[in-house]
Amino acid sequence: MYRKLLFVLLGLGLMSGPLAADDSPLRQPVVGTHALTGITLVAAPGTEIADATLVVRDGVIVDAGSGVEIPAGARVHDFGDNDADLRVYPGLIDAWVPVSFGDEDKKADDDDKGPDLRPGQYPHPLVTPGRTLNSGHWPASKVADLRQAGFTTAALVPDSGLFRGRAAVVNLGEGRLGDNVLEPAFFQGVSLAARTDNRQFPSSLMGTVALFRQVMLDAAWQAEARSAWQKNPAQTRPQFLEGLVPLEDYLDGDGLMVFESADMLDSLRIADLAGEFDLKPWMVGHGREYQRLDSLAETGVGQILPLDFPDAPDVDGNDRDISLIELRHWQAAPENPARVIDSGLPVVFTSHPHGSANALYDNLARALENGLDAETALAALTTEPAKMLGLDDRLGRLARGYIANFIVVEGELMTESPVIREVWIDGRQHVLGEFEPPEVEPAGQWDLVMKTGEMGDIEAELKLSGKAPVLSGEFVVMGMPVPLAEARVSGKRLKVRIDGAGLGMPGNINFSLDIDGERATGKGSSPMGSFDLSARRTSGPDNDEDSA
Amino acid sequence: MKKLTAIVLTAALTGFSAGLFAHDIEAWNSAIPDQPDHVLLRGATVWTAGDDGILEETDVLLRRGKIHRVGKDLKAPRGAVEIDASGRHITPGLIDAHSHAAVVGGVNEATLISTAMVGIEDVIDAESIHIYRQMAGGLTTMQVMHGSANAIGGRNIILKLRWGADPEGLKLDGQPGVIKFALGENPKQSNWGGAGGRYPDTRPGVAQIIDEKFQQAEQYRRDRDNAQGTVPHRRDIEMEVLLGILDGDIHVHSHGYRADEMLELMRIAERHDFRIQTLQHVLEGYKIADEMAEHGAGGSSFSDWWAYKYEVFDAIPYNGAIMHDRGVLTSFSSDDAELARRMNLEAAKAVRYGGLDEHEALKLVTANPAAQLDLADRIGRVAEGLDADVVLWSGHPLKSSSRVDQTWIDGRLYFDRQRDLEQREAWEAERRRLIELARAGDGGDDNSGGEDEEEAENAGAEDEASVSDPDERRRGELVMRRLLGQGASS
Repeated sequence: MYRKLLFVLLGLGLMSGPLAADDSPLRQPVVGTHALTGITLVAAPGTEIADATLVVRDGVIVDAGSGVEIPAGARVHDFGDNDADLRVYPGLIDAWVPVSFGDEDKKADDDDKGPDLRPGQYPHPLVTPGRTLNSGHWPASKVADLRQAGFTTAALVPDSGLFRGRAAVVNLGEGRLGDNVLEPAFFQGVSLAARTDNRQFPSSLMGTVALFRQVMLDAAWQAEARSAWQKNPAQTRPQFLEGLVPLEDYLDGDGLMVFESADMLDSLRIADLAGEFDLKPWMVGHGREYQRLDSLAETGVGQILPLDFPDAPDVDGNDRDISLIELRHWQAAPENPARVIDSGLPVVFTSHPHGSANALYDNLARALENGLDAETALAALTTEPAKMLGLDDRLGRLARGYIANFIVVEGELMTESPVIREVWIDGRQHVLGEFEPPEVEPAGQWDLVMKTGEMGDIEAELKLSGKAPVLSGEFVVMGMPVPLAEARVSGKRLKVRIDGAGLGMPGNINFSLDIDGERATGKGSSPMGSFDLSARRTSGPDNDEDSA
Repeated sequence: MKKLTAIVLTAALTGFSAGLFAHDIEAWNSAIPDQPDHVLLRGATVWTAGDDGILEETDVLLRRGKIHRVGKDLKAPRGAVEIDASGRHITPGLIDAHSHAAVVGGVNEATLISTAMVGIEDVIDAESIHIYRQMAGGLTTMQVMHGSANAIGGRNIILKLRWGADPEGLKLDGQPGVIKFALGENPKQSNWGGAGGRYPDTRPGVAQIIDEKFQQAEQYRRDRDNAQGTVPHRRDIEMEVLLGILDGDIHVHSHGYRADEMLELMRIAERHDFRIQTLQHVLEGYKIADEMAEHGAGGSSFSDWWAYKYEVFDAIPYNGAIMHDRGVLTSFSSDDAELARRMNLEAAKAVRYGGLDEHEALKLVTANPAAQLDLADRIGRVAEGLDADVVLWSGHPLKSSSRVDQTWIDGRLYFDRQRDLEQREAWEAERRRLIELARAGDGGDDNSGGEDEEEAENAGAEDEASVSDPDERRRGELVMRRLLGQGASS
């Protein structure tokens, strides 16, 4: 079955990463009709259907549930004879993914700074509300990272400016902008953290706030003035204020504006400003919402919350250096998501500002230990963002007529390191891990020799427990243990990932071992480069010595 | 703000926050104290800062946020909170007419020569520890000002030091509009490291641009009022603020040191038919005290702070007393988050230098700044009907050995020395508890938690061959870090 699936995928040409549909002169595969059977279907948060079938045709879900008839000609993916509980979830949605839209670099290169910038004078480099994403800036690698973590839809927003421009709501498929767009120009991204360089207005937070006000006044004036002049041209023509016309969509609370908030006081400031101009706001939070939650809840402004909790302060040194403020936040931060949700505010989660979207799950697990309920968490990544983006009639759940965005997970999704096998976007299958049935049981203790170029031979130990295909354990160098982020078996091969985050490092170490009895050889890579491995099992799984 | 070097150095920082020094109390989790219906402070020496002078063995009754009665042997209303203040002193809450404490995101919008469009009200730092520390020194109201980088600066805001409140809750309600102007070295960019580049860079130029801006504002008003046709007039926030000054709704508080340019500013204001509310710093005020009194400009000065740049070389410690004696409404202000914690001692210096009467000296930091802020009927005196902002001192308020026992704002006990001392024990206990929690690895932090487990194992039976000594572990960690890309730098 596993092998068969692989062949199918290879045949479809969907296995390799960057192959974009419109890059090839050859005939491209059609999306076609698929039926996934023998799955537990999580149709929406809290709605689980055992032994279900999901039928997808041409990128759209045509049927979902138990006792569903499989249409003739459908490609059947039968998960029923599998050991693991395979669960299909709606694809995750990230409502705030800042990426470069491209234009922001122009001014920086310019030595001649031109006329002094001041509120009321246009164009202003921080005021680009009409900016939209073009295909030249399609963030393919960011999209691939998000997909790897189970996201299938995202709002891509410009990463600079005060009025930054309009978010592109896209699916995270292969291909480029044109293949993936759901809404090319949706909410306006706003940040009061924007400043100009070169001693140009604004250079302070209060300056940026003043600029915000003047821009909003001017946008409203321009709409009124130009309409008055169109009706009666026999009067002085109003000055044209370059760049402001797109803001007319946000007057009178019509369009959605999403503000990136820097801290608790910024959140209150944003709510005040939005009220002053009758805007329809959401905001991207900062993780300290718990600090003045009553005041925030009164504003009623929806929150896009990051899940980014601090590590414990270093308590091994002189603990006089650790402030109570730091300790309090360390303890309270993982409770923040649950507390904001309990306050009654609309909440969605974002993977921002993590470098790797996988870090989201570590933090999610901490939030789940601290009062967050798994169903609510799933809603904050599916149905709630779909609603916020105005796409809840086609995204966020698995039902007839919805876009075929979903993920196939081994077991529960809401865990510290979920095993996401497949991500389907617009009815196209992306296999994240191609696994064969395990043929070896590598539990036990292994002595390793890593043959690196620069650092010579490094001796290490690998302690594994559990049963194939998924094991847990640790990697030990000179008595220094590091937990394994992932250890799994495919055929006779063991794949191991060590996450540098545990040591406060950005990179990963990955290696694989081809196991032959009590001996194994393999290859691996780390940020230092690649290395060869040889290994020998020194004790079996039942030995007490590896219980530590 | 006095020093330009400070402006340049702190332009990118958040105001004057002393982030280096950790503190335990935080505003966001400090509840607003209750407001009892009645509070009766009994038998104190009361410095009224008003016509009644200093009253011995007097009671002060606070009622729902206001000073209700001041007198002898007042009858306590039912349920009143009674405090024995005998042997102690009560003054009005102190007022600082020149502060930059509690600002986030920069106190200067240093770019344009006029930044009347910006306002400190948008960037109040309600979390600033300065609020608590200054309030613990008896301060209850401050004017938080824009910096002095521009001839016409941003709008200021008058705050009560209601520790724990949101930015909105810190604002003193019913306050007049207030704006910062500045003269001399700062607006003309004398000390900006040679890269000024903005008009003007002379004192006459500063005077000229202020005059020019008011001409522009008058033109703006004419254009607005005489607009023809159906196209609406376009609003300009800066111009509307300047019109607020011309109409008397927004009061000008101008930074300045030298007599000549301060005189010139008063003349410009008279030409445009408005008044300079106060001159700030005003270290040469003693040279033009008569002219200030005639114009109606107050003087908000330092007791003894000078010689930090050229234009402050003519300062003398008698400045405050001389201005006061010549009929100028005079105050002492801090311009500094640390100094603002002990404004009573600044006032005391006017007794030593210039021989001011003690009660008159106290007015320099109470009734007089209240009048400069146009809030004399709200704050600054212990008088019936005013806000219940009073300070209970352990002794004579002008003595350096006295300290604040209690600070009341709006009839709420925001600072209580005894409570503070007790809280410190609770905070230390909280800190200890959280450190133990972090040691136990309960927070889910892999790094430190893992090490502690290892240590615990070491302490137990030596049954593991693989448990190694700490030095070797450290080498192991180095190897891992090198593998993960830190390279030879460690």
